[in-house]
Amino acid sequence: MGRGVAMMRGHETKPAPSGTECPLVPAYPTGRLGRLQRHLLSGEFDQLRDFPIFESNFVQVTRLGEVANKVTMGVAASSPALELPDLLLLAGPAKDNGCLQLFGLFPLQFVQLFVHDESRWQLKVKFRTGRAFYLQLRAPAEIRDREFGQWVRLLYRLRFHSAEGAVPFTQEYSTVEDGEDDQDDDTIEREELQAMEARLDPQTSELWGL
Amino acid sequence: MTYAYLFKYIIIGDTGVGKSCLLLQFTDKRFQPVHDLTIGVEFGARMVNIDGKQIKLQIWDTAGQESFRSITRSYYRGAAGALLVYDITRRETFNHLTSWLEDARQHSSSNMVIMLIGNKSDLESRRDVKREEGEAFAREHGLIFMETSAKTACNVEEAFINTAKEIYRKIQQGLFDVHNEANGIKIGPQQCISTSVGPSASQRNSSEIGSNSGCC
Repeated sequence: MGRGVAMMRGHETKPAPSGTECPLVPAYPTGRLGRLQRHLLSGEFDQLRDFPIFESNFVQVTRLGEVANKVTMGVAASSPALELPDLLLLAGPAKDNGCLQLFGLFPLQFVQLFVHDESRWQLKVKFRTGRAFYLQLRAPAEIRDREFGQWVRLLYRLRFHSAEGAVPFTQEYSTVEDGEDDQDDDTIEREELQAMEARLDPQTSELWGL
Repeated sequence: MTYAYLFKYIIIGDTGVGKSCLLLQFTDKRFQPVHDLTIGVEFGARMVNIDGKQIKLQIWDTAGQESFRSITRSYYRGAAGALLVYDITRRETFNHLTSWLEDARQHSSSNMVIMLIGNKSDLESRRDVKREEGEAFAREHGLIFMETSAKTACNVEEAFINTAKEIYRKIQQGLFDVHNEANGIKIGPQQCISTSVGPSASQRNSSEIGSNSGCC
């Protein structure tokens, strides 16, 4: 992973982090805690309590777009020293009382995330086992595009990271799936990498530079 | 929903021994013959009633496949109970128990209660590990032992609940410091001795200890 001095969207120049020197601090894209983060902070998941999380609410849809059930998906970093999230968290309403319940925690190296249909704000989540499902962002109309854009940027960063051989699926990541590759090139990736490094700056108040 | 204590459980053992099926049977009272390979950790929860106290079991069902093991073992920390599962029809899953046990003991509290489970007891005709062998292994390593069938639900309730009963006994004996998060026990948000809890899918019927179907 390249290192150096990075600038990010109007913030002052700061030395980029290297290794564990500049720990990641929890930050929230919307400025307030998401449902999943609040659930993990509720006291029942000590081990996951302090994970920085980027999360959104979705509905699970079929490939053709039929709505199934509500899902909250988040990506988290299991260590503040990490430059990118390494875990995927899935949660949904409990059957009995509708309260959010954590369903699973999956290392991102065994999961692939794709943009399935940008016009419908849909992502595809594919596990290494072959299991796949589709999620459509559930957010107020006025922020939906921006929030989905954050996921798209995250996907690019995860892909770029994997392209360095740090995780499996390099070949699959390099193939076009569902048309999410059309604006990818080295320049963009380099800029995004720099932004990603800059996000470790606590002053930016942005998680993973999204 | 209030509870007196929350106990963190982990379910560990080789891939294909039925860990996820045991969890599904315990939380949802159903059996799914074909189950996706678990990657990472999947969670389940259910309330049980022990000695008049509501106890929430928070269950971490871990991946058994070797390639996921180094990652999932980091989540053993802070477990109060472990279900160590093998498949009575596959000798190799029994042979690997020592390795799983070492992992569990290395990454968990020394007070953790471990229940050894020989699963798939419904497949008697294909049995490859005698019950006595399971009992001997458990005795040698200080574990509780049961044979279960996630398919028929035989002894599934008992396996989870007897583990909770043993943890609760240790709490009462002062062996567990309930204020130490590393022990996998949390005091509930409100100390509440309730007598009944409504049934639900994920936090289903409270179950009294001591029930034993004796089916296996």
